[in-house]
Amino acid sequence: MAQMWITMGPQHPMTHGLWTLRVKVDGETVVDTDAELGYIHRGVEKIAEARDFTQITPYCDRLCYVSAMTWANSYIYAAEDLLEVDVPERAEYIRLISAECQRLASHLMWLGAYGPDIGSLTLMTWCMRDREMFLDLLQELGGSRMHYNYPRVGGVKRDIPVGFADRLIAKVKLFEKRIEEYEMMLDESTIWLVRLQGVGYAKAEDMVNAGVSGPNIRAAGVNYDVRWAHPYSVYDQVDWEPAVEKPTSVKGADCYDRYRVRMEEMRQSCRMILDAIEKIPGGKNTNYASGDAMILAKAPTRAPEGATGFSHYECTRGASQFYIKGGGDGRGKNPYRLSIRSPMFITIPYVAKTMIGYKVADIPAIMGSFDPCIGETDR
Amino acid sequence: MGMRVTNEQAETAAAACVASVMERYGGAGIEATVEHHSNDFKMPFVRIHSPPQHWVALAKTLRFDLGANYCSMVTGTHFPEGGDDRGWDVVYHLMRQPVTDQKPHTNTVHVAEKLSGKDVPLEFEVLITLPQTDVPSVPSVQSIWVGADWNEKETWDLVGIKFEGHENMHRVLNPHDSPEGFHPLQKQHKIRYHDFNEMYDDAQGFGRKPTDEGRVK
Repeated sequence: MAQMWITMGPQHPMTHGLWTLRVKVDGETVVDTDAELGYIHRGVEKIAEARDFTQITPYCDRLCYVSAMTWANSYIYAAEDLLEVDVPERAEYIRLISAECQRLASHLMWLGAYGPDIGSLTLMTWCMRDREMFLDLLQELGGSRMHYNYPRVGGVKRDIPVGFADRLIAKVKLFEKRIEEYEMMLDESTIWLVRLQGVGYAKAEDMVNAGVSGPNIRAAGVNYDVRWAHPYSVYDQVDWEPAVEKPTSVKGADCYDRYRVRMEEMRQSCRMILDAIEKIPGGKNTNYASGDAMILAKAPTRAPEGATGFSHYECTRGASQFYIKGGGDGRGKNPYRLSIRSPMFITIPYVAKTMIGYKVADIPAIMGSFDPCIGETDR
Repeated sequence: MGMRVTNEQAETAAAACVASVMERYGGAGIEATVEHHSNDFKMPFVRIHSPPQHWVALAKTLRFDLGANYCSMVTGTHFPEGGDDRGWDVVYHLMRQPVTDQKPHTNTVHVAEKLSGKDVPLEFEVLITLPQTDVPSVPSVQSIWVGADWNEKETWDLVGIKFEGHENMHRVLNPHDSPEGFHPLQKQHKIRYHDFNEMYDDAQGFGRKPTDEGRVK
């Protein structure tokens, strides 16, 4: 049979955003693929060269609209490396809690979007219901529902509000039960298993070589995690362990392993939040004024030429990194160059190539299992 | 309980890598040092200055002898006022990750504090400085790390660094029909900061003009 190219996207439910997957098919079998990105390139790296270090945070929020808090934190750690700031421990705990709430919200968004890919609309409604709990919590911190502009160079904007801790604990405990509901619905569902098992194999070493990171690596059986390998924040002080799967095939992790590892990661985030809120220095029910030394350290506003800042961060989709060169406009008030490493930018071309050999109907299952987000991909 | 790679582990691993690089390439103008981040845990990393002509050989050593199996990011920077010797620089960030293929139904659960030798995760920063020129170029390492492929594409697209030997180079973030020679992160393309009054007087932006109007874009 003759082979032909089919264009999926930029508007296609499989894309989870705006990009184009060009697929060469032979009947129902995928024989070649090609990814086209850049539809929502906003030039954040260029814009940052005309902003000072505080003004960049809201742009980093908008890098990934599903996971704003982790991206803003990721930038802030690089800025702190550049400006040589030590952060108060209470602020680190608050950042950890906010980042893990965001991870729960982001994974729920992923699961909610993955359900309809596979054919389960129920999942979408359930996940949106639970995600709202964590968006409400983050809204209490940052003031808005999706883009929080919450971390500051040297700490956080505001302390946790009075009563936040109780609401957090109640919601996280409720959600721990909800995870079991999800598993009851999905783990033994024939449709779910048929679509996910034995599809989209990816080997650990291949993925590392290609630059894939985060949950996708842990699904292939190694507990490599930036949170312990390149430590930041207080992850060494709270109770958790990196989620890791046991892949069933020599061909590596399949879609089902990647689904399982994210479910386990949500459990670990819950465990981490419940432990961190009890251990927070200064007490969970105190509320320090904005700018108090407990939550915000004084930070310089200018960085000299030649200074560099770098951050490792375990974002919800993998390892994000920022690299900043100081000494830009305004006698060092702006960065000279800010470079962003997005995990999905590297992952999407790799995933496109792993689809070769599978059927056209498997494409949404494979693509969705890697959790693409185009906001961070195109920057 | 949480765990983390300790400073001593990373310090030992970084020192070993620096010694290994310097022993092999010390005479070739390559300079390796152990540097430290200044936030949080002050973690050490390896910084290597390399001239462009030795980069591929160095990359092979890093990949196959020192275990830097992950090319995480490539950053190009334009220094129009950097003098004759430094018109551009390219920074490769590489990581060492203790990740191997697993047998079916098994997994590897590392305990951070017990890792040693080449299993300790480590960060490498390779700086390649290029002289003032209109056609900056460095050799491509696409064949050594698959992950370098799209990173190099992006760096060419946005900054205009040519990667010699890179196959299938094309625009990735800019439109595919962008004019040849347009690389927006070069410093001759200015970004304008719109101040408050300007936003107020001309909220729609009809009166604004880009500062590089009339030049090649």
